[in-house]
Amino acid sequence: MMRIIALAALLVPAVFAQEQSIDWLSDYRQALAVAKAAKKPIFLEFRCEA
Amino acid sequence: MEGRVFDAQVVLSPKDSPLGKVLNEYVCVRVVRMDDVDVGLFDRDWNNAIYFFVLNGDERIYMRYGGRESKSPDTYNSLDSLRIALEQGLVLHKQYLQGHLPATPRPASLFPREMPLLVERTFAKRQCVECHLIGDFQNIQRERDGVLDKLAQLYRSPDIGKIGISLDVPKGLVVKDATGSAAAAGMKAGDRISAWNAVPVFTFGDVQYRYDKVDRKAKSINITVDRSGQPVDLSVNLPPRWWWTDLRFRQSSVDPRLDFEDRPLTADEKQKLGLKPDSFASRVKYIAELAKIRKTHDLLLDDVIVAVNGVERDEFANTAELYLKLHTSAGESANLEVIRDGKRIAMLLKTHVLSFRK
Repeated sequence: MMRIIALAALLVPAVFAQEQSIDWLSDYRQALAVAKAAKKPIFLEFRCEA
Repeated sequence: MEGRVFDAQVVLSPKDSPLGKVLNEYVCVRVVRMDDVDVGLFDRDWNNAIYFFVLNGDERIYMRYGGRESKSPDTYNSLDSLRIALEQGLVLHKQYLQGHLPATPRPASLFPREMPLLVERTFAKRQCVECHLIGDFQNIQRERDGVLDKLAQLYRSPDIGKIGISLDVPKGLVVKDATGSAAAAGMKAGDRISAWNAVPVFTFGDVQYRYDKVDRKAKSINITVDRSGQPVDLSVNLPPRWWWTDLRFRQSSVDPRLDFEDRPLTADEKQKLGLKPDSFASRVKYIAELAKIRKTHDLLLDDVIVAVNGVERDEFANTAELYLKLHTSAGESANLEVIRDGKRIAMLLKTHVLSFRK
């Protein structure tokens, strides 16, 4: 029981933070289309995770 | 993993934070595989594990954000400077939509699947096309084709510190301190760099990219700064080997591995040894532990290398180590002339090839 509570204590803030943070796309082509339709600029991150 | 903290700070920026409020005005996209990326359009120094572009839906690039120095990948990353850059990006985007932004030629496209070595070494093995592999295999291919320009393509991303520019990083391109060549040209603390060789720059990433494009034989560059709202043009003299950077963080670079490091002799040391003032004679200051196992060379600490393959001087190199890096390919051998305990001896050096290249 204690383990479950501890895990929840760890995960809840992370989930909450995700809900409050910026929406990120992962498809570059989709980002181009969305940006054109919304007339917004694009902020593109290249992240090498290896 | 390099850039992990900054990556998390950016990606998880709360919507109501200063950075998050600006990011809300953007379409944000995070790409972690390079397989289908136009690496011609998004050309950069590929030894950056994290890098950003600000562009629009027509793929017009407004600016870069990122870049590093040899000793740290994080020196120039800052949430504050990123926010400043993104605010400028919104201004540029507005100008673009209004047709007020001058057109720029689109770089030639290049996709990883068009690069034979990447196809052979990564796609065929279903491995990830890591960022650094793009740069590494570009250089290996250039070396194979005999077109590798080591000054520009091996020694990438010159260090602005060498010309005396220290940035107030959270403030973007505001100069914190100017010394050396930059100070001699008139640069002052508080100036904001606005153009590099007449190309507008908005971030350190822009500056480093433009600096990397400067001809390695150039003797000066033009830097424009904004000083109290007025543009001031400065002609900054470039010191010898302004392009040199430590290659050690470029783990799989094409440079020949020498298993030693040296330092240039002083003018006095050269005179005492009867060497010419402009020679690249240098003293060995470090020997890799694996040198003996690899049978790279028999150098000892404090040996003085006075010639490589009979050559004692070079237009660019100030040490034997740099001469070897510039003029030999990995796996090649070279004849060294060495002074040890006052006597001249000859020895062979066989450069080391990284296993992934074999």
